[in-house]
Amino acid sequence: MGYHLRKVAFYLVALWAAVTLNFVIPRLLPGNPVDILMAKLQQRGGSVDPAARQAYETLLGTGGRDSFAQEYLAYLGNLLRGDLGVSVSAFPAKVTDVIGDSLPWTIVLVGLATLISFVLGVGLGALVGWKRGTWLDSLVPATTMLSAVPYFWLALILVALLSSGLGWFPLNGGYDVVLDPGWSPEFLGSALYHGTLPALTIVLSSVGGWLLGMRNMMVSAMSEDYVLTARAKGLTGSRVMVRYAARNAVLPSVAGFAISLGFVVSGSIVTEQVFSYPGIGSKLLQAVQNNDYALMQGIFLVITIAVLGANLVVDLLYGLIDARTRDRSTVS
Amino acid sequence: MTTLEVRDLTRTFHRHRAVDGVSFTLTAGRTVALVGESGSGKSTIARMIARLIRPTSGEITLTGQGGEPVARRAYRDHVQMIFQDPFASLNPFHTVEHHLARPLLLHGRSRAEVPHLLERVSLTPDLAGRRPHELSGGQRQRVAIARALAPGAKVIIADEPVSMLDVSIRLGVLKLLDRLQREEDLAVLYITHDLATARHFSDEVLVMHRGRIVERGPGDDVLLRPQDPYTRQLAAAAPDPEARFRQAFRQGGQP
Amino acid sequence: MTWSGKLAAGLGLAGLIVLFGLLGPLLTGDPATIRDIGLTPPGDGHLLGTTITGQDVLAQLTHATRGSLWIGVLVGVMATVLSGVFGIVGAYAGGVVDEAFSLFSNVMLVIPGLPLVIVVAGFVPADQRGTWTISLVLAITGWAAAARVLRAQTLSLRNRDYVAAARVSGEKTWRVICMEILPNLLPILASQFVFAVVLAILSEAGLSFLGLGAADSSTLGTMLYYAQNGFALQREAWWWFVPPGLIIALFGGALALVNFSIDEIINPALRDRVRRRRDVVATTPVAAPVDEDVVLTVSDLNVVYQGATPVHAVKNVSLTLRRGEILGLAGESGCGKTTLAYAINRLHRPPAEVTSGSVVLDGVDVLALGPEELRAFRWVRLSMVFQGAMNSLNPVTPIRAQLQDVLRTHRPSMSTSDREARCAEVLRLVGVDPARLGSYPHELSGGMRQRVMIAMALLLEPQVMIMDEPTTALDVLVQREILNEIKRLRDELRFAVVFITHDLPLLLELSDRIAVMRGGEVVEYATAEEMYLRPQHPYTRQLLASFPSLTGERGALIR
Repeated sequence: MGYHLRKVAFYLVALWAAVTLNFVIPRLLPGNPVDILMAKLQQRGGSVDPAARQAYETLLGTGGRDSFAQEYLAYLGNLLRGDLGVSVSAFPAKVTDVIGDSLPWTIVLVGLATLISFVLGVGLGALVGWKRGTWLDSLVPATTMLSAVPYFWLALILVALLSSGLGWFPLNGGYDVVLDPGWSPEFLGSALYHGTLPALTIVLSSVGGWLLGMRNMMVSAMSEDYVLTARAKGLTGSRVMVRYAARNAVLPSVAGFAISLGFVVSGSIVTEQVFSYPGIGSKLLQAVQNNDYALMQGIFLVITIAVLGANLVVDLLYGLIDARTRDRSTVS
Repeated sequence: MTTLEVRDLTRTFHRHRAVDGVSFTLTAGRTVALVGESGSGKSTIARMIARLIRPTSGEITLTGQGGEPVARRAYRDHVQMIFQDPFASLNPFHTVEHHLARPLLLHGRSRAEVPHLLERVSLTPDLAGRRPHELSGGQRQRVAIARALAPGAKVIIADEPVSMLDVSIRLGVLKLLDRLQREEDLAVLYITHDLATARHFSDEVLVMHRGRIVERGPGDDVLLRPQDPYTRQLAAAAPDPEARFRQAFRQGGQP
Repeated sequence: MTWSGKLAAGLGLAGLIVLFGLLGPLLTGDPATIRDIGLTPPGDGHLLGTTITGQDVLAQLTHATRGSLWIGVLVGVMATVLSGVFGIVGAYAGGVVDEAFSLFSNVMLVIPGLPLVIVVAGFVPADQRGTWTISLVLAITGWAAAARVLRAQTLSLRNRDYVAAARVSGEKTWRVICMEILPNLLPILASQFVFAVVLAILSEAGLSFLGLGAADSSTLGTMLYYAQNGFALQREAWWWFVPPGLIIALFGGALALVNFSIDEIINPALRDRVRRRRDVVATTPVAAPVDEDVVLTVSDLNVVYQGATPVHAVKNVSLTLRRGEILGLAGESGCGKTTLAYAINRLHRPPAEVTSGSVVLDGVDVLALGPEELRAFRWVRLSMVFQGAMNSLNPVTPIRAQLQDVLRTHRPSMSTSDREARCAEVLRLVGVDPARLGSYPHELSGGMRQRVMIAMALLLEPQVMIMDEPTTALDVLVQREILNEIKRLRDELRFAVVFITHDLPLLLELSDRIAVMRGGEVVEYATAEEMYLRPQHPYTRQLLASFPSLTGERGALIR
């Protein structure tokens, strides 16, 4: 099987595992989510007809009335139709609509922050590794310390210092509420302005991991014979560093992207909460606090799919930058 | 007399025949040299005889001193292996003592035999407390030989036992193996890519090429008067300063 | 800082925090006592001030530290055991078990952890959300990355000869895993455990801060939750909000130091290097070469590896190389032959240092060149071929890019088509099809790769080529082809060669002159013929005797 096919197959398996996990969790854990949801629904003046109950039961379990297999098939059927149920906390909005509204915010925030963090960390890591024995070495413990700080704590300290203290950034939110969301320059500028501090938090907290990993690989790559050969060839220092050492040292960072992305996504959920950012992380917490199980599951599924998708893209890119993987026959 | 017979041994990896229908016999008191280039299948044969990998087909039968077949369970009491790289074949975490005591205990002997084992391979018993990184390459390979002897094995598979050692100590290790073979009546399979030592240290030479034995016989016949084109090529490729200075050599006398 | 210094500092700091969490609660009184002195700044009586309800922050901090550490250790142990089972056992068992375990680990790895934990925590009613539940969930979502690392390491250990040797001596499988593999995994297990502890403390803090933590525990996360809900920062009560976060950061930082030192134990290359002292030595002024034919003169060269006990790797070595000559450099591992070769081209790296002597190549005093002059000198006048051609070629770019790099740097004015033509020309010279220019190194055989390296060394037609064990890794037949190729090219192109190897018979056949090295010194330096017929030094004789002749009298050697 070719490299690409194998990767796609792996992510399909992972997707199936996530979907199934989503199905199993409410059925295995204690508590009776359907009853809680129906009670909530009643409070909000929603319909309590049997159809609504049945919809939730498909999602969360019938309490033993139907067989596991029947429930599973019904659940998969709903997923395939794109039906994730109705949100209780945002009643009567559908879960898919709630997610659709908040997802772009998170994708832009987390995507940009991850990209900046990766480029910055890998770039600095290459430089620190290359210039070993200079003052740059101190960047390693400094950024590692930052990664050991809880995201939300750093975020709150940054807000206290830069927003409350100096007034450079807004306290919270994703945009100035007097503006109408749209593609107007004012709105985009405001969104950018509001997104800077959350993005800065994510970058500061995650850059250390990239930097350390790249620096260590750079040091290993520099003792390789091909770097020695490149130096013997009389190539310029920058060419040896970029084309020979860094080009090889970056491979494990790219291969390990999955692990790091998981951390960033986890951290950004908490960060969004701190900044009351209108993204999917804040929505997830609202859902949890309001026992909005349908929304909770939907968001988990969407986050997982987004992460799997990003990893698939990175893995396919990896095949492009390392010719050897295409010829290897090992599994993932 | 302990005899190990290999009949029609074949091993395939992913449809590639690494070893293809190989047969030979190892008998006590004789050294058989298995010669070939990397990838010829010689190490695969060693690992099959040591029961590290299974043959795809073919048989390996062992008969004990009195001619009786040896049970599967007792196989490792009789057949042991020496690996190529003494830096890799000793666990950096354990002492020499541990490396020798374990096989002794596993085969119903006593830990007290460790000093004697070390003496048999010309090492001093005070090395027992050291770890591999405190030993030289030659010392390590001697420890590895002692480990192979520990269960009282009569068949020794030596897979390139000196190719990772410095040149000036190679002959010493080979001479030790040769002495043990004669004194203890061992059956030795000496696997190597070096034609010269194969000729000097064996009673029979088998030449392997692409999984098959292409030529076999006494060392002098096979290597000085090779019949197979591949063996001829191999013999011609070895560095031969004599050829260059033969003229001067005749005039100049003793080297 | 050295690795032992980092380990000591990290363990010391982490130890202090652990002590703070263990003993602190015994000394600081009840953290829950409410007083009517809300938000008192630090001072007498309350070293770290009070919370909004007048609780003592220091007392809360000690209890919270204990709670966080407990969860950290709990999760650390569980996650390490899980990763060990899936990583080590799977990799050792191999086959279908390994495929299944590895697939499972990878799936768990790509499913984002914290969202999953939040969903699980959301379904469990708050009163049933205890420390053990939270720890279990964190462990289940946090073991996969470590399993992947352990699997890779176990796969490499499993194929080590000492594992095979243990199996041959009859060890049982569980004993091979526990006694042969596990001890060598200890540093990695330790580092993964430390990482799991930090991750657990951070994740738990996040969960508690969101109000989803364990209901029955007080941790640094819950403390921050209350501080945030009491608007600690808005009221400028920094003493309430800052210390819990700082403890987490310090503990994480301390354990990161521990992990740095473990990394350096596993991979010595990462250890701090001695800083570069001076780069260029003062050389003795060079007299004009007497012999017009001499291209390379090395005189009284000394190379020392600086350190606590300096190692004199090359001692007073003097050599001369004439145009078109092959000079053999023979010696065993550690004799200084490779150090000497690198020093000639100044490729040696700290702590190696040329302490005295001179290297003159065709009138150029190599040791006196400035950095830019040195760069321009390399490969133009002197090129090198290294031992492992697989490792000398950059694995991620095609051959073409690596050949063209040389021309692009040293012949910047050359046109693209001329460059391509020259690269094809040198490949043809060494008998490689120019169509191979687009190939990656791993697509070529060992012999072919070494030919490409030789082609690369020919690109700029240098006067001298240094070859460091160029045929050692190759099979006899390929070695013979490469040697014939070198001889033919030398005759055609008249470059001089320094050929380094441990194989004295090969040098006797190939070289014009031979220098035998031992312990950094040249013990004998003579023409090949002289050395073959009348070796002077006892070590040369010993080396010669180490190679039994294929055709010589049989048995004279041993019996």
